[in-house]
Amino acid sequence: MTMTMPGAETFFFPGGKVGCLLTHGFTATPQEMHELGTRLASQGHTILGVRLFGHGTRLEDMARSRWPDWLASVEDGYHLLRKWCDQIIVIGFSTGGCLSLIMAAELPVDGIVTLSAPYQLPSIPYLKQLYPILPALSTFVPPIRKGPPVWYDMEAAKSRVQYDAYPMRSVYEFGAMLEDMRPRLSKVTAPALLIHSLDDGFIPPSDMQHIHDSLGSTEKRMVHVQNSNHIITCDAAREDVFRETESFVTQFVKHGA
Amino acid sequence: MSRILDRGEPFFYPGNDVGCLLVHGFPGAPEEMRWLGEHLAKQGYTTLGIRLFGHATHPDDLTRARWQDWMANLEDGYHWIDGACSQVVLIGLSLGGMLTLNFASKTPLVGAVAMATPWELPPIVERLRPIVHPLSKVWRFRTPSEPSDWRDKEAEKLHLYYPVQPLRGISEVYDLNAEMRSSLKHIECPVTLIYSTGDLTVPTDHAQQIYAALGTQDKTLSWVENSGHVLPRDAEREKVFSTITDFVHRVTGDAP
Repeated sequence: MTMTMPGAETFFFPGGKVGCLLTHGFTATPQEMHELGTRLASQGHTILGVRLFGHGTRLEDMARSRWPDWLASVEDGYHLLRKWCDQIIVIGFSTGGCLSLIMAAELPVDGIVTLSAPYQLPSIPYLKQLYPILPALSTFVPPIRKGPPVWYDMEAAKSRVQYDAYPMRSVYEFGAMLEDMRPRLSKVTAPALLIHSLDDGFIPPSDMQHIHDSLGSTEKRMVHVQNSNHIITCDAAREDVFRETESFVTQFVKHGA
Repeated sequence: MSRILDRGEPFFYPGNDVGCLLVHGFPGAPEEMRWLGEHLAKQGYTTLGIRLFGHATHPDDLTRARWQDWMANLEDGYHWIDGACSQVVLIGLSLGGMLTLNFASKTPLVGAVAMATPWELPPIVERLRPIVHPLSKVWRFRTPSEPSDWRDKEAEKLHLYYPVQPLRGISEVYDLNAEMRSSLKHIECPVTLIYSTGDLTVPTDHAQQIYAALGTQDKTLSWVENSGHVLPRDAEREKVFSTITDFVHRVTGDAP
């Protein structure tokens, strides 16, 4: 028996001198980055997918985690990838995108891709009012069960590996991470690609605009996709996401060297 | 500012088809295994040194760690190195040795190395175990006062570890140790154990007890004398490195 949920394993594909560090989102697992990873690997790049601390094991592990633990997991991946490539592109989905940005404000990266990344807490009723007392509430309020999946590709939704609830403490940590991220965005200077679905029912596409406008990068580009809910790495528009990400990463390949 | 302490970062050195997965001790850092990792990389092996949760960041983080987190970290490391190699050898120090042996009982490996790995923890830990969870909420850290067993004083100065030990963390090591003892008989891969007679943390008879409990027929026990507990850093590290290199060479059939 393993501690990691079946299908939630980390992954590494050795390849060329461009390395991609893939980070999944909140309450999810490396599974949601795996197909993107295999696609980038098939283009000849080196790929490493991390597992954020507290994710992909037991829900109570997540409730024990703090957002800096998640950041440390991304930093682990960065240091592991370092010796395998000359350039590092950080690619993060949602919370993984925020963590990639926070890290990119401190450690040298060559490029950044954020996918469905939030800028602020989503407008869920009462969330902003309850936010400050979530740590206290979390000591007696059980995790919030997730509703049925709302996907454009319901087949893809079936293969998802994740927790089926949000620990209340972790929702607080998510908000604390966003607070930490926002003032750091101006320190991020690497070329950036931002992708968001116009049909994202969880994080509105305006969050991408906010991140874009705050970034210190001079090279930055926004791409909208459609026909996908929040999980754009797996939902119906995933081919668009793979193609855009592949062409962004490919520009870093040095030819004739 | 990085979350991970300077020199506390994990490492992954590219090499051949044989992977060495290195696991540090409590409350240490990947740094403990780095010289060994560099040595194995020089022999051509692919080498990955993981960071266990709660280590090399802040001691407060280690108060929240559970032994299951560390097993999950080992699984993460295994899946990464498995992506680059067809054969994997696990190598752990102390707590890392317990995790290594526990993992080796569940996953087919070509070999496992455990250094300075305790058979059991001091009796005081066992006595405190029934009350340690509530106790650790008020008495969070102990400051070790045991005399240093380092023989290489220069290497000791470079040792990266927390100067305090979370009580809760010690109780997690205790629980893992119990898991390890019951797992030993299920280990089928070749195992080599390395201990030092100069180790003030792990008494010498622990080596024989683990050796006797191992299920595998292919097992060896090696000794050094002029080192303390932190075998891959202390005075006789070169002897430790060559013992491990010979083992990896033998079990993988790979010419160094």
